[in-house]
Amino acid sequence: MKTRNITKSKSKSKAKTQATTTTTISAGKANKDTKLSNPQEIRIRMYRVGFGDCFLVSIPSDESKENGSQFRHILIDCGVHSRGNIDTMEKVIHNIGQVTYRTLDVVIATHAHADHISQFARFGEEFRKFKVREVWLPWTWDDNNKDAVKLQRKRAAFINKLNQHFEALGANADQAALSAVVNLAGNERAIELLKSCFGSANAKVRYLKAGDIINPEDISIPGLSVRVLGPPESTDLLAQEDPPKGKGYLRATPSGEFEYMISAIKPFEDRWKVEDPTSTGLHLQQEEEEQLRRISSSSINDVAFALDDARNNESLVTLFVFRNKYLLFTGDAQYGNWRGWLEDEKSSSNILAKINFFKVAHHGSHNATPKAALEKMADGEFAAMVSGQSNIWPTIPHPPLMTRLNEKTKKRIVRSDWLHVEGAPKPLPNSVPEMPSELPEGFKKGDYWFDYTIPVSGDEIKIARKKIP
Amino acid sequence: MKSTENESAIKDNLKMPPYRPLKVYTFDPTRGRTMGNYMIINTPYEKLKPGPVGNYLKVIDYDANNDCYYQPVDLDHPRVMLGNGLDPAESDPQFHQQMVYAVASETISRFESALGRPIKWRFGGALKKARRKKEGQAEPQGCDDDDDDYSRKLRILPHGMQEANAYYSDDLGSLVFGYFPASETDAGHNLPGQTIFTCLSHDIVAHETTHALVDSQKDYFMEPTSPDALAFHEAFADIVALFQHFLFKEPLQEMIRKTGGKIFREVIAPENQPDDTGPLFQAEATSENPLVGLAQQFGEAMGTRKALRSALGTPPGTNDLKKYSEPHKRGSILVAAIFDAFFSIYVRRTADLMRIAKASGASGSSTEVTQPDMHPDLVNRLAETATKTATHFLNICIRALDFCPPIDILFGDFLRAMITADHDLFANDKYGYRAALIDAFRSRGIAPEKVKSYSEESLLWSPPEATDSEALPSCSGLQFDVFNSQDIEYRKAQKQKNCSALLEFATKNAEKLGLSANPNLKIELGSFHEMHRMSDEGKLIFDMVAEFTQERKVHYDPADPNSPPFTFRGGTTVIINQDGSVRYSIKKSIHDEKDDDKNDRLKRQREYLTKRESEMSMAAYADEATIFARTLKADFGMIHRGYY
Repeated sequence: MKTRNITKSKSKSKAKTQATTTTTISAGKANKDTKLSNPQEIRIRMYRVGFGDCFLVSIPSDESKENGSQFRHILIDCGVHSRGNIDTMEKVIHNIGQVTYRTLDVVIATHAHADHISQFARFGEEFRKFKVREVWLPWTWDDNNKDAVKLQRKRAAFINKLNQHFEALGANADQAALSAVVNLAGNERAIELLKSCFGSANAKVRYLKAGDIINPEDISIPGLSVRVLGPPESTDLLAQEDPPKGKGYLRATPSGEFEYMISAIKPFEDRWKVEDPTSTGLHLQQEEEEQLRRISSSSINDVAFALDDARNNESLVTLFVFRNKYLLFTGDAQYGNWRGWLEDEKSSSNILAKINFFKVAHHGSHNATPKAALEKMADGEFAAMVSGQSNIWPTIPHPPLMTRLNEKTKKRIVRSDWLHVEGAPKPLPNSVPEMPSELPEGFKKGDYWFDYTIPVSGDEIKIARKKIP
Repeated sequence: MKSTENESAIKDNLKMPPYRPLKVYTFDPTRGRTMGNYMIINTPYEKLKPGPVGNYLKVIDYDANNDCYYQPVDLDHPRVMLGNGLDPAESDPQFHQQMVYAVASETISRFESALGRPIKWRFGGALKKARRKKEGQAEPQGCDDDDDDYSRKLRILPHGMQEANAYYSDDLGSLVFGYFPASETDAGHNLPGQTIFTCLSHDIVAHETTHALVDSQKDYFMEPTSPDALAFHEAFADIVALFQHFLFKEPLQEMIRKTGGKIFREVIAPENQPDDTGPLFQAEATSENPLVGLAQQFGEAMGTRKALRSALGTPPGTNDLKKYSEPHKRGSILVAAIFDAFFSIYVRRTADLMRIAKASGASGSSTEVTQPDMHPDLVNRLAETATKTATHFLNICIRALDFCPPIDILFGDFLRAMITADHDLFANDKYGYRAALIDAFRSRGIAPEKVKSYSEESLLWSPPEATDSEALPSCSGLQFDVFNSQDIEYRKAQKQKNCSALLEFATKNAEKLGLSANPNLKIELGSFHEMHRMSDEGKLIFDMVAEFTQERKVHYDPADPNSPPFTFRGGTTVIINQDGSVRYSIKKSIHDEKDDDKNDRLKRQREYLTKRESEMSMAAYADEATIFARTLKADFGMIHRGYY
């Protein structure tokens, strides 16, 4: 009986959904779009926050909750880079509050970069008003894990010094490296709030690593199982990302402390200096002198990039499985770091070929999603969303990657910067893919978000059982 | 230049001195005056200008960090010459200039004596092409026109930058050495925070000079075509630096005494065996064997408490090659293989000396004599054997460069080159050098491509195959410079003649030599030179070694013509006898475009470049052109920054 009811409402609400489509494109009223009337679809909402990530995944639930909502919500990241902030965050959080009735079953922070977690701190007071059931964090944040603590201590020292150095350089700093450092620094408050679950009573923190599996019965979202694909455990990660001992300006001593040379050494007394190099006839060309000076300073930039890279690869990579639908959220991790878990599959089936949704890694950067990964995904079987904008780094999102994704998803891809927001940068001319006149199938548009809905069949198991005599 | 000096010498009735003795540190400043740490290098005599500036080297003491120059030293000053150069001092930049000059010269002479010809620097074909473009000159037709340009000098900057690194830059045609403060918390033998100069490490200077020397012989070896390519360069530089340790008499003898002949031990027992009770004093502490460690001061200053790298590396295990792709780590496998063979031969060759010592009453085992019983004569003989063996090994390694393909070197190719080079000189492997090398490589999983087995005959390179219908290729018209003429015009003309003869020969016999006969692929003659050796009957034999290369543009992604292009090369090293017949052709064919999907070498190179690119930390942020350029260029720092 129950099943029949559901199917009935399915057809009813299908029509309803179509009706609501037209109304939401124009400035939708709060009530209409907060009410998810169709309980048989997963909804993924990508908010346009600027250069950053903020995703709300809503999973339908058979059991209705105290507040009447028929959905369980997972918030994945809430951050924006200071150089790419378009000031929509306040509204975004307000909207999250409304849609979720201020209850979040899971809050996931993928990694400690400002463009993913900074707003947890900035709007900490708001988040305190939420009821948060679980917070999922990468194992590298776990204070009870010796390796993690060691890693974080090293990083913190590094980042601190780098920050000082780049601040001192001011306008002379390489802008890309500076952005990387800005992203790394100042995340302590957000981390603290997340670890404390924003003060929610009875809340639980999970520190996850590649290989972890969360079964439906373990969490408050029935029917949802989660496979964690990254970050990899212990030594691989640590070894890979430590700027190898003694390289360049910064190095780790065996005790784990950090030393940093910031001041120039004068190796010899002044009496050895040559007043006028042309008198000796022994000197380099000016361009050569400049080149040498540049090489000396580039080592610092290299360290900034390496740390940034390392942090990205600490991202929590989660594969959600709900009623045979697969949703992949990669944070900013490079494919190379979590592909091992896919290939370890005993069933040797290609997981990537099964996904129905892909949150494009690292705002669409080129090496986070290499060809090898794309080619494994099934043509036309999945949709993708890219959250970012091109004003900090024109190579993110990476046009050829976007083109390929557009092909593979058969145009079911949206970019957050398609949404018009007052004062926010528009996509660069000739950016890919071009904003279509009509949104692709399954997508809906809000004021400052895109929704992608995946219909799920209800109670497949029960139907199957019925067939067996 | 040499002739005018000779003339002036004859006028003065004074002979030209063969050497200029110069003081240097044997290892580095941390060893103080102990154990023969001060040594005298006899550099070949040449007139020097302040700098010092000689025929091959030009020391320019520019400090990029402080943007200043330091006073150049005049090694021809009588007061300096009287004392065999300046005394070693860390605070005197002029001594540093002297040291880099001396050690670099020493390394250059070793190469010259192994190769049997003078060294000519080759700083990046790209640099030459750019210069030509700037001056509006046309590209030379096939032959390298400024082949006789001996006046190009390698520049050395002893205090180039403030960094814990040193590197060879072929763009700048320079060796740049850095200085840095030692670790505050764990500086080993150094004072915490003291300034460490990489130019004062004998090892580091020899290592970087070797990069320049290999580059002068094999122009394309710096291109990252496979994980082996850069690793080979690093390994070779380490090998030369490490073998030089065994040519320093005093420290070698000291080590032999301390280790009872076991010079391959990494840790040396203390002079005085400590009791179980009471405090330890200096002579009771174990120490590291400097002979097998590389750049010890540097390593300790970084806080690692030991040498930067070791000759011994990790024990043999066939998985190492699969695990490591970072150039220094991967290179250390090659270094370990060669030293494995070296130490095995040393043990074999000193076995009889040990037996004699045992017979006359010394105690110990077959490989060592316990300390108090080491007779000074025995120490002497052991040292001599070690030096002789090391010299022979070093010569094998350096000569093998001539027997390597012109591009895309793999460890397995180098093994074949060494075996062939040594076989050429000594048909009878009396002491088993080749057998030891083959064994050492085999146990580390270094497998040459396309050979049938690890036997010596299989590993030798082969001449082009004979077919019934076609004659074997033969190069006629080659002129060998038997008398080493000093007439520059004559030499130039001879070079041109040889160049044309070789190019004609290659074009006519392209396919037999492993080159592509496709007329669109121009055959370049990268370099050619004579090789001399003594036959077993004592006759002097000449060969001509020539490197032919071809190139074409391919794309990163075979399916996408819009993906960035890179240059794919093919080539053959040909060794031609006096009579024109080809003794060996060492080929890496470029193959045809239409066979690209079957071209394993191209596939390998693509995979490697893609991997390099994806591992670059700034890959996400920089534009394609920058990333791409970085992928194709190698970074020859003493230690890689690791961020490419």
